[in-house]
Amino acid sequence: MSHNQSSHSHITHKALDLDKINVILATDCGSTTTKAILIEKIDGHYRQTHRGEAPTTVEKPVADVTVGVTNAVTEVGELAGRKFVDDNGEIIRPANGNVGCDIYISTSSAGGGLQMLVAGVVKEMSAASATRAALGAGAIVMETLSSNDKRKPYEQIQRIRELRPDMILLAGGTDGGTKKHVVGLAEIIAPAKPLPRFGSEYRMPVIYAGNKEAAELVQDVFKDEVELKIVENVRPVMESEYLSPARDSIHDLFLEHVMAHAPGYDKLISWADAPIMPTPGAVGDILKMIADRDQINAVGVDIGGATTDVFSVFDGVFNRTVSANLGMSYSISNVCTEATMAKVLRWVHFDMDERELRNRVKNKMIRPTTIPQTREALVFEQAVSREALRLAYQQHKEFATTLKGVQQQRTVGDVFSQQTGGNTIVNNMTLNLLVASGGVLSHAPNMNQTSMMLIDAFEPEGFTTLAKDSIFMMPHLGVLASVHPQAALEVFEKDCLIYLGTCVAVKGLTKLGEVAMRYTVRGKGLDLNGSMNGGELKLIPLWEGETATVLVEPTGRLDVGAGPGRPLEKEVRGGTTGLIFDARSRPLLLPDDRLQGQKMIKQWVETMELYPN
Amino acid sequence: MAVAYTPGLKVSPQTQLRIRRSLPISGEVKVSIGQKVQPQQVVAETLLPGNVYPLNISKMLSIPPAEVPGALLKKQGDYVKVGETLARSKGIFGFFKNELASKYEGQIESISKITGQVILRGEPLPVQVKAFLNGTIVEVIPNEGVVIEAETTFIQGIFGVGGETYGQIKVATKSAEEALTPDLLEESMRGKIVIGGGRMTYEAVYKAIDLGIAALVCGGIDDQDLKAILGYDLGVAVTGSEKIGITLIITEGFGDITMARRTYDLLKSREGADAAVNGATQIRAGVMRPEIVVPIDPKHVSKNAIEDTSAGGGVMEVGVSVRVIRDPYFGILGKVKALPHEPVVLESGSHARILQVETLDGKVLTVPRANVELITR
Amino acid sequence: MKQTMKTLVGSRWTWMMLCVVMAWNAVTVSAAPPAPPSDIQVKDYPLDDGTAVKVIFKRSPDDTGAEETNFTGYSIRTSSEVNGFFKEALEVKKAADATEAAEVVDARVTGLKEGEPVFVRVYAVGADDETSTPIQTAESITPVMAWFDFHQIRLLILVIVICSAVILFIELARRGYPMTVRKVAGLEAIDEAVGRATEMGKKNLFIPGVQDINDIQTVAGINILARISRTVADFDSEIEVPTCRSLVMTAASETIEGAFLAAGRPDAFDPKSIYYVTDEQFGYVAYVTGWMVREKPAACFYFGAFFAESLILAETGNSVGAIQIAGTAQPSQLPFFVAACDYTLIGEEMFAASAYLSGAPEELGSLKGQDMGKVVAAACILFGCFLAFISPDLMKLIFEETAL
Repeated sequence: MSHNQSSHSHITHKALDLDKINVILATDCGSTTTKAILIEKIDGHYRQTHRGEAPTTVEKPVADVTVGVTNAVTEVGELAGRKFVDDNGEIIRPANGNVGCDIYISTSSAGGGLQMLVAGVVKEMSAASATRAALGAGAIVMETLSSNDKRKPYEQIQRIRELRPDMILLAGGTDGGTKKHVVGLAEIIAPAKPLPRFGSEYRMPVIYAGNKEAAELVQDVFKDEVELKIVENVRPVMESEYLSPARDSIHDLFLEHVMAHAPGYDKLISWADAPIMPTPGAVGDILKMIADRDQINAVGVDIGGATTDVFSVFDGVFNRTVSANLGMSYSISNVCTEATMAKVLRWVHFDMDERELRNRVKNKMIRPTTIPQTREALVFEQAVSREALRLAYQQHKEFATTLKGVQQQRTVGDVFSQQTGGNTIVNNMTLNLLVASGGVLSHAPNMNQTSMMLIDAFEPEGFTTLAKDSIFMMPHLGVLASVHPQAALEVFEKDCLIYLGTCVAVKGLTKLGEVAMRYTVRGKGLDLNGSMNGGELKLIPLWEGETATVLVEPTGRLDVGAGPGRPLEKEVRGGTTGLIFDARSRPLLLPDDRLQGQKMIKQWVETMELYPN
Repeated sequence: MAVAYTPGLKVSPQTQLRIRRSLPISGEVKVSIGQKVQPQQVVAETLLPGNVYPLNISKMLSIPPAEVPGALLKKQGDYVKVGETLARSKGIFGFFKNELASKYEGQIESISKITGQVILRGEPLPVQVKAFLNGTIVEVIPNEGVVIEAETTFIQGIFGVGGETYGQIKVATKSAEEALTPDLLEESMRGKIVIGGGRMTYEAVYKAIDLGIAALVCGGIDDQDLKAILGYDLGVAVTGSEKIGITLIITEGFGDITMARRTYDLLKSREGADAAVNGATQIRAGVMRPEIVVPIDPKHVSKNAIEDTSAGGGVMEVGVSVRVIRDPYFGILGKVKALPHEPVVLESGSHARILQVETLDGKVLTVPRANVELITR
Repeated sequence: MKQTMKTLVGSRWTWMMLCVVMAWNAVTVSAAPPAPPSDIQVKDYPLDDGTAVKVIFKRSPDDTGAEETNFTGYSIRTSSEVNGFFKEALEVKKAADATEAAEVVDARVTGLKEGEPVFVRVYAVGADDETSTPIQTAESITPVMAWFDFHQIRLLILVIVICSAVILFIELARRGYPMTVRKVAGLEAIDEAVGRATEMGKKNLFIPGVQDINDIQTVAGINILARISRTVADFDSEIEVPTCRSLVMTAASETIEGAFLAAGRPDAFDPKSIYYVTDEQFGYVAYVTGWMVREKPAACFYFGAFFAESLILAETGNSVGAIQIAGTAQPSQLPFFVAACDYTLIGEEMFAASAYLSGAPEELGSLKGQDMGKVVAAACILFGCFLAFISPDLMKLIFEETAL
């Protein structure tokens, strides 16, 4: 079946003459809003020109996603002075004068996105690989079952029954490895008879991506009760993962079964020129593409109301995690509980009444759509977002690891430095690009606030370029990349990212009042040098499109990327915030004492001009 | 654009309600289509296999596993109660006998001579689904559940804790503004659904639990109080399974806040009627709000009662009543005075579309449109 | 050049020695036996293990404290019979100065047998080893063992310090004081190794060393086996334990059965997978390596005492592609394990494993308490080295002259 996917896109490629594509229309059907963007070829370059949005119409009373899509597209059309929708309510193609578009593509995360149940033999091994495949495909993993999750079979069955996943991914065993466990898992899933979320008129799609020698046995267990699809093993040997066949078939089944049964999607699928992708899957694709092209390590974050997605590409390895209960509206109360109120309040530079705050947090939770009106409320929300991002990134680091269960090669010299497998591959020192998206980050009234939220939460080390996704265009571009990579990359470069600037931070513990680093900045109209004490921040204006050469000499054991105490020179990129020197410790330590902490934060707030009057 | 859609909660004097009642795992449906059911009537039932308790008799009595069957006072298949002597060691010449009392109740499922282990299986756990509504069965889903239909007065709260419960409606406060304090609660309210006006205090909730009141419905609650009542800080707004001995529903929000006049009046008008409430709340995709359902006696169903269509939301226009739902004006009621078209810079620095609200005491407030909620007077 | 220097120095030394010898001869020529000491009292030495007596006597008139005299000291001799052969038990030097000379001699004679009566004589000794007439008590004295040997008080102090440290830390751990144990990669990796075996559908192999159960390393190995087999039971994998000693087989079998039971899977326990092979070291190794080549286990664990077989086992395991974790306190075998295994527990790590794995406050506390003991011991050694370096006399004073 995985061939089907590639042949499908192959046909699309054939059918479209890429050079003749001038007008591209893309939509993203989110849970609350459907966003449409228009990309046009201007002077031989693809640019994003207009955008529009409308409420998503998947739920009752409309129950037809295309209504929302049509509304959003119409809004874009009005702005662009083009007509996209004909009298039958269909999108007009190809473009002709100021009517229609050449390609229409879409992503979807409506109705809570693609929700999956994942099962594997060992939680940290094949189940983790299967989870990576599902997350990489853009799914929300509701539950991971494994043979060693310490639950009794009847408890596992009960759990499956409680969930209503869209799809199940079953993996486990290397090729030629265990059959007993995989079949055992199938024997738990089969009698649980999981019900698909969108009605019972179709069979539950189950993807089997485990030991190929157990495939037949698994098929015998499921019989005809599920829509079983057998693909290549996600973990053919312990030493490596092979996720793409499972990922592709998740996309296929998402289209064929899940989407086809969601209200109005049959129509939407027929409209689109490329397969509809789950939104986060598309975001991951574009991030990976950019990281591969520029040979950089990148982290992307999308903080939403209920969940926070973190994407990373380190040395070409892509990882995605969804922190299901870290978000800024539905989940705001959970962020405060998980991080504790004290941790949230350490980012606030003035006094707040905790009792009152608790009520405000809960009110935001039950009425998720409200926005902060006062500065005080804004500061608090941004404090919460720092904690949400920090926790989400922590979860991401724990998940994005090297493979477990791999034989190690040792020499006698390793006697005192043995390390276990499964270490995180996330390394803030080698991180080059940090991209932010999601309401609280991209709609912050002041871009310096966005930069600081990123720096405080992610604690980048060395030289890191900060950017934000201007209007959350990455999903659209992710799908576009599968059809027209050149257009996607051009738009990504020119219109998608808004560069905030570059953060230069020293790694290690700095001491207050002692010189932590010396710097020299040279650029157009810039010739600065100076030194920074521990605990200090400095903002140097360097506007969008400008670059400068920065030489940093850290003192003592501090490191900016060239090794402890070694100087490093790099060219940095400016942006709406500028160049930020950060001589605060890594890991970032704030005083436990509330008053002292407030004083410190206040200093940073002033330096960074976060909340100007 | 002079109109905007704002979500609201359903508060309806009469509505035809259809609810699906189903079992978590397959079981037996006990009613048939067309049958009238009472709220407490069981409509579907199933048994979950009981919990398993392995007891290592050999280790507990310090005897070899092979002697375990001899030491047991019960046979396979026998029933054991908590505290009942399960086994007795032979001892030495009749002295030093050790006895073992069972810590669990259950049936002896197996006895192992090799490991010296006895497996006790507890009672099967019955899972019952009650009708919840006083209505008619309109659909039976075999082995799974039913769909019930009824004419009801239907009120959605904004947040609740605790599961389904039933009782007579009793209004405790004199007005929609008055907070629910312990002195308003009395013995006669046992088993009833007690309606308050403003905030329910921590002390009142405790007294209500003592008195055996079935449910409290109020305008608001302090989060600090909620934390004290639950014993933990609520993180994710998915509730319904709390075991605190009472169901709590708030209709407006957290903090000191008055119950909407319409909700209060409606509840007051149904005082004395039997109602069913459910505190279960889920705030995320597929949102679930707590409900107060008061069935309407078929005799009194007015055939020409208009289905309340405006309740699930409404059109924001000049003159409609709204409530501000975000600090700094949280809870303030008023009327929309103006709906300026252009976005404005708020104090926080954000650009947002706003509206002007004239409060009840004549002041004019400027608030972002996202921060108000339509209310029907 | 150097050579000449040495010769020069050498010759100077020779001259000096010659002078000393000549002086010595001069003294001995004019020698007469010194006057005997007087007023001897012999008592049992209090608070000891019954092997010493206390001898008190007045000094000989010749013992004036003057430097130039032919008197050299006293010889205290003991015998079991009143007129038997008196053997020297202690030499006492002459007084260093006049003040000391004014005092009585209070000596402790050790090396006696508890409960056996002895007679004590004291001789004054002249320069030419010439002795005075002895003084002697009329009655014999019997050294008695006291209920408490005060000379071992340092051990008592150490025991109290270490025990109270252990108790203190156990108590602290119970009260939730955080006790962190350094991460031991080898123990962390147990799950990983068993997981690999589970995924690959292969067996786990456990070798408890080639020594019997009386070897502490074997015991530590069996402790770790409990944890490994618990993981094996959780993962529903299989474990094979061939042993080289019959008692080890029994212990391993009991341990694994207990672990499976604790994991709630008594049914999965297979007693046939734990068996005795042979006591013969290389017969055993031949069997195990043969089994490894045939069955290709995915995880091999070696915990216990190992000798020449360590590298044979570890290399075979490595060649069949297993994750291998080893632990031994045999320093000579550690390099082989480190090189051929994925993870190696060295010495102490293996003994600390059970506390590390269980995380029980009692065990963690006692681990930390023992560490305190080690810190105290190390501090004493350092202190001793320092003392010995700056002043050996001071050291002697502290450790010999006092009861410590």
